Amino acid sequence: MALREISSLEKYLGLKKPNKYSTQGDKKVPVLQNNNGPPLVGLVTIACHLVKEAKRPELLGDSAESRAVVQQWLEYRVTKLDGYTKEDIKTILKDLNLYLQDKVYLAGHQFTLADTFMYCGIHPLIVDLAIQEKEQYVNVTRWFDHIQHYPGVRHHLPPVVVLRNRIYTSKHH
Amino acid sequence: MTKEEVQGATEEEQQAQSKKGLKKQQKEAEKAAKKAEKQAKLAAEQHGAEEDDFAKDRYGVSAMVQSQQKLDRVLVRVQDLTLEKADQLIWLRARVHTSRAKGKQCFLVLRQQQFNVQALVAVGDRASKQMVKFAANITKESIVDVEASVRKVEQKIESCSQQDVELHIERIFVISQAEARLPLQLEDAVRPDGEGEEEGRATVNQDTKLDNRVIDLRTTTSQAIFRLQSGVCQLFRDTLTKKGFVEIQTPKIISAASEGGANVFTVSYFKTSAYLAQSPQLYKQMCICADFDKVFCVGPVFRAEDSNTHRHLTEFVGLDIEMAFSYHYHEVIDSITDTMVQIFKGLRDNFQTEIQTVNKQFPSEPFKFLEPTLRLEYTEALAMLREAGVEMGDEDDLSTPNEKLLGRLVKEKYDTDFYVLDKYPLAVRPFYTMPDPNNPKNSNSYDMFMRGEEILSGAQRIHDAQLLTERAMHHQIDLEKIKAYIDSFRYGAPPHGGGGIGLERVCMLYLGLHNVRQTSMFPRDPKRLTP
Repeated sequence: MALREISSLEKYLGLKKPNKYSTQGDKKVPVLQNNNGPPLVGLVTIACHLVKEAKRPELLGDSAESRAVVQQWLEYRVTKLDGYTKEDIKTILKDLNLYLQDKVYLAGHQFTLADTFMYCGIHPLIVDLAIQEKEQYVNVTRWFDHIQHYPGVRHHLPPVVVLRNRIYTSKHH
Repeated sequence: MTKEEVQGATEEEQQAQSKKGLKKQQKEAEKAAKKAEKQAKLAAEQHGAEEDDFAKDRYGVSAMVQSQQKLDRVLVRVQDLTLEKADQLIWLRARVHTSRAKGKQCFLVLRQQQFNVQALVAVGDRASKQMVKFAANITKESIVDVEASVRKVEQKIESCSQQDVELHIERIFVISQAEARLPLQLEDAVRPDGEGEEEGRATVNQDTKLDNRVIDLRTTTSQAIFRLQSGVCQLFRDTLTKKGFVEIQTPKIISAASEGGANVFTVSYFKTSAYLAQSPQLYKQMCICADFDKVFCVGPVFRAEDSNTHRHLTEFVGLDIEMAFSYHYHEVIDSITDTMVQIFKGLRDNFQTEIQTVNKQFPSEPFKFLEPTLRLEYTEALAMLREAGVEMGDEDDLSTPNEKLLGRLVKEKYDTDFYVLDKYPLAVRPFYTMPDPNNPKNSNSYDMFMRGEEILSGAQRIHDAQLLTERAMHHQIDLEKIKAYIDSFRYGAPPHGGGGIGLERVCMLYLGLHNVRQTSMFPRDPKRLTP
């Protein structure tokens, strides 16, 4: 899973030479054997490295503040989102929905690595939502729909249908 | 500690205890004496008071009404208590909804069906202290006869339906006394979901309501629901009669299942067995063959489906229509949809109070419909669902969630809660459904939906004995059992179509309720046979 995501990211960043990866441990943590240095371990570490290699530092945030926010969401993705349980789904979606109420991207007005990462992480949750639930978490689905149509992001993941109009106007029926 | 020591200790304790006990006894004796004194005093007071109770004849428990006398007393209805009746002395029969005593006064709320009025007994030259006490002690839900003068009030009484007047009671007699403990409180049964949760107020769950249906039916909500239901039947009959339909009665004990044998009740019938009718289908069709042209039928319908859902009952009231048409079965659809629209209009225009009463407890959006009624084809519906991300085969039947979703999509696009879905796949319909001449996989059949839930299923029927036999054989039906039915088409049968509506479902969906048991007076489901 993680490896596929990294190769998607490589393609998105336009890296010509694909790197070779291995995994370690039960959780299959990705490892990148770098030619000129120690091996890099972990999804976020490798991703940040690739962004630097592709000379796209703005994807990690263009100000000190947004850099911190991006790191925070990358952390959230690997600690909270990966390995979620059924009970977590509601809280995750509710919190994210509230957070995205006044934002286009996770870090504000700029597309960052946090958006692709959260998109990949939350995809399995969104796929299973009924239309009524998608409408309930309307900010999440708006952001999700935007990201899945962002050039070059979706790759191997199937598209999710998001309705533009609200069809559940009241609590009842 | 040694044994002796222990004994000593206990002895001491005992002594102390007995001392204490003595004191206690003494105290108790004193208390009892005081109490007796008090009681004697009270009794003496009461006795003395009873003797000089000037209002003795103005209240009490009446003898059981066994039709001993014909009083020419006019009982006014609560709903008629308006300003027009101010300052009149009237008689009234009502239930005691609540009573609240406050010093020399006692406030009662008297209820009659969904109407209520505030009444007051106050110590004065008409009522004595004892009468007020008697009024305050009448149990809730008792039926009383009251003579009272109607008085205008300064401030509107918000909690009652009659807000402009109150009653000053001069006489009050209990006609039927209710037991002091009610299995459920009426206020609890009409409380909207979630309201009063902070104060820890109770709501009554559905099963408790249904177990004590007689009391539950007294609530304003229930009163309104069943008045509206009566209205639906009335409007259905009136509209169809105007269109030249004839009302028919069909047998409910039948020899063969009309739509597949799986979900019928079997009853023992002398030395053989019979079924309870799932619908008057075969009989209304035979009436068409017998030249009745346009018929309808209102009566019980039985389904032995073991499904415990919000919208299935094992016995419900079916409103069935069957009519001969000239050339196209859309004539039938138009006739049925027009009937439904007339019902919706009639409800909207004549039952606004009832609708609002129900809305108070179960809020919902007003029911919307179009004129003429929206008709969609099955393929269009599939396209709409697929666009919304639903994966479905061309010949699949609609599942309940998809049905509901489609309802929302239609509402969003066309702003209607009522529409017809036409041209169902032939494979999912009963054997007597006429195939579509243009596409043999489709059929000339239709469903009607209210708020995204099916209320009517209908079709053009096969009126040709040979084709009917073929289709019956295709469905592997025993031809012997439906011989009479097939034979009725051998001697000339007009093209015809029709449909059947579930009364309870129509009421439930019109009012936006969530459970069909709410619109069935004494619901029957796999788990409920009583009351």
